[in-house]
Amino acid sequence: MTRAQQHISIAALLSSIYLACFMGFVPFPAKIQQDIIPVLPFWAIVSFGAYLLFKLGYGVLTFNDVPQAHKELMAQIDQARTELKAKGVEVD
Amino acid sequence: MAANALLDRLVGLAMLILASTVFLYYTTWTLLMPFIEDEFVQSFFPPRAWAVRIPVILLLLGGAVVGSFLSLVMIRSNRKKAAKAAQKAKAK
Repeated sequence: MTRAQQHISIAALLSSIYLACFMGFVPFPAKIQQDIIPVLPFWAIVSFGAYLLFKLGYGVLTFNDVPQAHKELMAQIDQARTELKAKGVEVD
Repeated sequence: MAANALLDRLVGLAMLILASTVFLYYTTWTLLMPFIEDEFVQSFFPPRAWAVRIPVILLLLGGAVVGSFLSLVMIRSNRKKAAKAAQKAKAK
């Protein structure tokens, strides 16, 4: 099963469950049915956005500089630049 | 170099705090407010209709921005392609 298939099947399952609740096929207390169920998709979207932002911020917070790798990378870039120039390709 | 790392960490931390605040406020607003009758607590939250309107407006705005950026890039690239083709025809 590919990743896309997995995601799509989970999404289909959740949407059918939600649709059943939304159309009133599941007995909920009146207050929940009226006030909470219609708002759930929006809550899910906002929470998903907040989760992504959290993950981003956490990654930025815990990202450490790697001076060794930086030096290595710069050297490799210079080497590639000279090799390409020898073959007639200009790089900025 | 160290100052940049500190600034990065601050940005990451700010994103983290923002994401958590948004999540907690929105969850309380949509899922908990219907059950709380206390007027003092209710005064912290706008009417619940806005809990749906604000995400929808933001989503539409975001979609419009992404769509216009995409179309701008595509138009620019097509124009460049047409200019190149015209130049080639002229050179012939």
